[in-house]
Amino acid sequence: MDHSILIAADPSENALRAVDYVGRVMHCHSNVRITLLNVIKGPSPDILPDEDEREVYVQRKRSEMLAMLEEISRRLTAFGIEGTKMCFKTEVCSENASIAQRILQEHQEGEYDTIVVGRRGMSKKEEFLFGSVSSKVVREARNCTVWVVE
Amino acid sequence: MKESDLEERIRTLTRSAPKGKLRVFRDTSQFMNISAGHVLQLSDRFYLVRGDEVEGRFGIDEQPKFWVKKALDLQDGSSKIVKLVFYESFTMHLGDLAVECFRSPRKEGRILEKVRRDPSFMHGITVEDDAGNTVRIVDKILGPCLYNFIHRLDMDHRTYFFTRFPPIFDRLVEAAEGIGRLHDAGEVHGDIRNDHLLIDREHGDYRWIDFDYTYEWAENRFGVDLFGLGNVLLFVMGKGFHTLKDATLSSGASLVPADMSLFFQHRVINLRKLFPYIPQSFQWVLMHFGREAELFYENTGELLADLETCRSDLAYLL
Repeated sequence: MDHSILIAADPSENALRAVDYVGRVMHCHSNVRITLLNVIKGPSPDILPDEDEREVYVQRKRSEMLAMLEEISRRLTAFGIEGTKMCFKTEVCSENASIAQRILQEHQEGEYDTIVVGRRGMSKKEEFLFGSVSSKVVREARNCTVWVVE
Repeated sequence: MKESDLEERIRTLTRSAPKGKLRVFRDTSQFMNISAGHVLQLSDRFYLVRGDEVEGRFGIDEQPKFWVKKALDLQDGSSKIVKLVFYESFTMHLGDLAVECFRSPRKEGRILEKVRRDPSFMHGITVEDDAGNTVRIVDKILGPCLYNFIHRLDMDHRTYFFTRFPPIFDRLVEAAEGIGRLHDAGEVHGDIRNDHLLIDREHGDYRWIDFDYTYEWAENRFGVDLFGLGNVLLFVMGKGFHTLKDATLSSGASLVPADMSLFFQHRVINLRKLFPYIPQSFQWVLMHFGREAELFYENTGELLADLETCRSDLAYLL
C-alpha cells in the first residue's frame, strides 16, 4: 500500500532537516509517495498596492522556490528515494490565510498519510506575536500523522 | 464655492477673518506646505486647516504629525481630522521584539468603511484628492484618551477598583468586542495602545482610533492586536503599569519571574500579588500575557470569553 507524505518545504535549515529525516526514515519504503509543498506568502496589497508589482514578486518567488524544491528532491534522491516518487507544488497564500491553513488544505485535498513540518524554535514572544506554523498544523490536522522535526 | 464665499464662511465659523489671500489645496501630496489658515478642497467640500495634529502620547514630548491636519468643515462647521498620505516603513518595538511596520492609508480607508456604523471606532470617510491620494476625513472625537483618563483619577487602587473600575471595565470589554468584530471582518487594528482608545464625551463610548499600521505577518495576523489588548487590560486593571521596583517598594510583595510580563521584563503581570482583592478570573486573563504562560490567546473570541467571566465575577463581587 502506498504511503503518501506531504513535506512543507522552504529554504530554512529546519525544513531541510525535516527533509533529511524523511529521506533517512523512508528510503527503504518502496511504496512511498512524496509531495514537496512550498507555500508562498503573497505580498499584502496594503504594503505593495501595485498589482503588477505583486505579480512580479510572486512569479520571482515561485521560480526561486521551484529551484529550491528541485534541490530538495536531489537531497531525497541521495537517500535512495526515486525521483518518480516525488512531485512539487508551490501555492500562493492569500492575505488573510495562514501558511498552516494552506498546508492543511493541501492535506485534505491530497489525503496524505503523513504531514512533515520543520520547527523553527521560536521564542515564546515570537510565537505569541507571529504564531507558529508547526503548532497550528499539529493542533488542527486530522486523519493523519504529523512529524515535527526540530 | 467662490473665494469670497469661503472667506465669509471662515469669518462666520471662526469669528475671525482669514489672514491674507486664501490658499486652496486640491493636491495634498506636499503636506509639509499645508498649514493653519490654508483650505483643502476634497471631493467638492472645503476644510479650513487649523494646524498639525500632535502625537499626544502621555502629554509630553509631543511631536507634530505634519500629515495629519486639524480642520474645520466649512459646510457644517464640524471639527475634522484630515489624514493625508504619508508612506513610511519603520521598525516598531513590541517589548524587546522588533517588527517591520508600514503605514497604509488604503488599509485605514477600507476599515473606516467597514466600521462606519460601529460605535467602537472613529468614524470618517475616504476621498481621493486631485493627485489620487487616499485622504481620510475623520470626525473629531471629543474626550480624553484612556491613558490620560486613568492617570487623572486621584485615588488609591482599592477605591479605584471597587468604585471606578467596574464601569470602565464594562466599556473596555465593549471596545475589545469591537476589535473582535474587526477581526471577524478580516482586519487588524495594528496599533492598539491605551492612548489610541478615546472616551467619547458625548456618548461615553470607548472608541479606537488610528488603524493605518500594517505588517507582513506570518501565521497569526491577530497576535499584534492581542498583545495590545493585553497591555490595555493590564493598565486598566492596575490603574497604571507597575514595575518590579515600584511594586516591591510599595507593597513588599514577593515577586518571582513568573509574575512578570512576557514582553516587558520589569512590568508586573500578576496584579493579585499587589492587589489581592482582584478576582482570580482577571488574573487568569492576565497570566496569558505572562513570562511563563503556557497558553496564549490566538484570537479575540478566546479572550472575550474569559473577559465575560471576569464581568460576571465583578458583578458578584460588588
